[in-house]
Amino acid sequence: MKKKVLLMGASGSGKTSMRSLIFSNNPASLTSRLGATIDVEQNHVRFLGDLILNLWDCGGQDSFMDSYLTTQRPTIFQQVGVMIYVFDAESHEPIKDMEYYRDCLEGLRYFSPEAAIFILIHKMDLIREPQQLLDKRRQELQEVSGDVSIQLFGTTIFDQTLYKAWSSIVHTLIPNASILSKHLSIFAQACGATEVILFERTTFLVIATSSSGTGVASSAVPTYAKDGSDHQLEPTRYERTSELIKAFKYTCSRVREEFHTLELDLHDFSAVLDELTKNTYVLVILHDPTIETAAVKLNIRLARSKFETLQADSLN
Amino acid sequence: MAANHVSYDATSSNGRASRPPLNGSRHSSSSIQRTKVLVLGLRRSGKSSIQQVLFNNLPPKQSFYLEPTYRIVKTQIDTVVPLELWDTPGHATPESIGIPIGQFRSLIFVIDIRDLYNQPITKLVSFVTAAYQSNPDINIEVFVHKSEKLQEDDKIENFRHIQERVTDRLLDLAPEYENIQPNFYLTSIYDHSLHEAFSRVLHKLIDSLPYLEDMLNVFCANSQSPKAFLFDTKSRLYVATDASPVDTATHNLCCDYLEMLTSFGTLYKSTASTSRHSPPTTSEDPQLLSSNGASLTPSPTTSTGVPPQSSKKHPKEMFYPSAATSLHPSTPGTTLTYHEITSSLALLALVPTSVYEGRRGLLEYNVVFFREGVQEICDVEKETREGG
Ligand SMILES: Nc1nc2c(ncn2[C@@H]2O[C@H](COP(=O)(O)OP(=O)(O)O)[C@@H](O)[C@H]2O)c(=O)[nH]1
Ligand SMILES: Nc1nc2c(ncn2[C@@H]2O[C@H](COP(=O)(O)OP(=O)(O)O)[C@@H](O)[C@H]2O)c(=O)[nH]1
Ligand SMILES: [Mg+2]
Ligand SMILES: [Mg+2]
Repeated sequence: MKKKVLLMGASGSGKTSMRSLIFSNNPASLTSRLGATIDVEQNHVRFLGDLILNLWDCGGQDSFMDSYLTTQRPTIFQQVGVMIYVFDAESHEPIKDMEYYRDCLEGLRYFSPEAAIFILIHKMDLIREPQQLLDKRRQELQEVSGDVSIQLFGTTIFDQTLYKAWSSIVHTLIPNASILSKHLSIFAQACGATEVILFERTTFLVIATSSSGTGVASSAVPTYAKDGSDHQLEPTRYERTSELIKAFKYTCSRVREEFHTLELDLHDFSAVLDELTKNTYVLVILHDPTIETAAVKLNIRLARSKFETLQADSLN
Repeated sequence: MAANHVSYDATSSNGRASRPPLNGSRHSSSSIQRTKVLVLGLRRSGKSSIQQVLFNNLPPKQSFYLEPTYRIVKTQIDTVVPLELWDTPGHATPESIGIPIGQFRSLIFVIDIRDLYNQPITKLVSFVTAAYQSNPDINIEVFVHKSEKLQEDDKIENFRHIQERVTDRLLDLAPEYENIQPNFYLTSIYDHSLHEAFSRVLHKLIDSLPYLEDMLNVFCANSQSPKAFLFDTKSRLYVATDASPVDTATHNLCCDYLEMLTSFGTLYKSTASTSRHSPPTTSEDPQLLSSNGASLTPSPTTSTGVPPQSSKKHPKEMFYPSAATSLHPSTPGTTLTYHEITSSLALLALVPTSVYEGRRGLLEYNVVFFREGVQEICDVEKETREGG
């Protein structure tokens, strides 16, 4: 299955940086060395095995913006699954940014009315009053977007917020993620786990969790565990796990090693992070001190083939 | 050696009200002997940033907002050796420090790598000569700092240049200064070079270092480990390592691993329940408290001839966190292990995955043996300090 993902926004807003951070395991510190994107850069990335994301990273210089909105209009806006519009939080031309956004929205409505729209207010690390700015932008953009529903995130390549936004984005591209969630929940119960989280292998984006009945990889509210206990866990844990493991994977690659598994036995909890299917990793969190990590590892091994099937189904 | 030091009641004149105190200050009992380290350098060379990044978890980028240092600021840091770092303003002179320079065990001199003028060297030389008069054994540590600013070639060239200038100037002054052997390090707060350099500075201050190193050597030999570090968990400085050479990439991997584990540890901590491992009780059954299979009861082994002495102060039933990450999907892969040794020290070791998976009991036994040895050394050190 192939999905077209448009990455739009003014030149310099951070589109290519975030793409390289999420999809090719580059650290944030190297993004300043990226060259400017000329015109449109098309990339195919394989996600979850059978899902192919066709990423259109659109340059964003004025001249190109003008041509997207005129001659190239159908080419760009046809058959879009998701449009991600990136605003530089520190933009010096907010009015022009908004005009381009409005034009893109028009094109999308005409050629791909079903497309999901994500708006990222990016480079939030540069902003002193982040919440204030987000509220303001949200209001403005909702007004401009009218009855089109948008999802807005504040992001920066320097922390977990980018993973949170992108987990939500890819989530809209996995039609049956709720099946995975349901089975993760069953698996959590079988293991006596507080929580089980499924990550896509290369991006380490969250695909599904045992705690989200609806399958939405949302972490806005603190989650109460599935094991009947009253554990209340840190609300940003999913995206921060993505960020931490991704950074550690990069570290490993620097010493020509490859991150494979992790197990922890700490004061407050123990955890196992291991491959579940060819394209996913699973994180099992245990708060019950009587459960052995070795038993969890065995359970993971036993669940592999079942989840291979489920994962394939989740894309249909 | 600690007894030579004049006791000094550190009253930290802390100018950084906006940030919490450095992590050391919770044990601010003034009765223990602290090893004094003087941090020098021109203004804006990076002295305060270095200390904040190492000991106060300051994100490097935020060092930009640090206030200038107007007076001497003393901070107590609890690593294996209790330290007292003296941060100085750029205009400090040997006379303005307030105590004889010879009372410091080490001078850390910070020079911006792009600063090739005479000023920093003149300042360094004035301190070094003042120190040498009263304490010829003082450690002179030169951090050629902000090294990430330069490309590889320029970096090496400036580093060599600064090194030569310092030695030449000292020799010009008096032939006896030939005995002064400053140590030079390339450092930057933006990578692990700072941690590695400061670790090496710290090693010279640890009187029990040879014992720790011996124990690491024994651990490595018995566990087939090519490399093991004893880390100070909070600062991520390594306190000791085995005799095999330190490869920077491996050191960096261990630093990052430690950092990742620390962050991870807070993420899935339940706010609703208390710690699932109860504090040590009088229970005799180690299985009760050391959960998850890795029994802490030493299993019989042939690799180490000496049985572990049972330590009275640290009951074996205590729970010690551990972790492991395997770094290659196929055999023969490497596993990087983490074992808490004391509340502030952790053992990080590279072991063959075959040993980690196939001979777990042996590995755990070796860790227990190592832990008991280290705990004993720490206790002795502590007694000496408190008694002095
Ligand atoms: N401060 C900050 N800079 C960023 C962030 N994301 C990207 N950048 C920088 O913004 C510049 C332009 O990024 P680039 O990805 O080329 O933008 P594009 O033209 O939209 O593809 C680069 O120097 C990046 O390092 C961010 O989150 N925060
Ligand atoms: N590029 C770079 N800048 C640094 C480094 N260390 C410190 N700085 C910067 O140097 C400036 C002066 O630092 P500060 O610690 O106040 O210097 P001090 O006067 O010697 O205490 C600050 O803007 C820091 O951000 C480094 O390793 N690399
Ligand atoms: Mg670009
Ligand atoms: Mg300062």
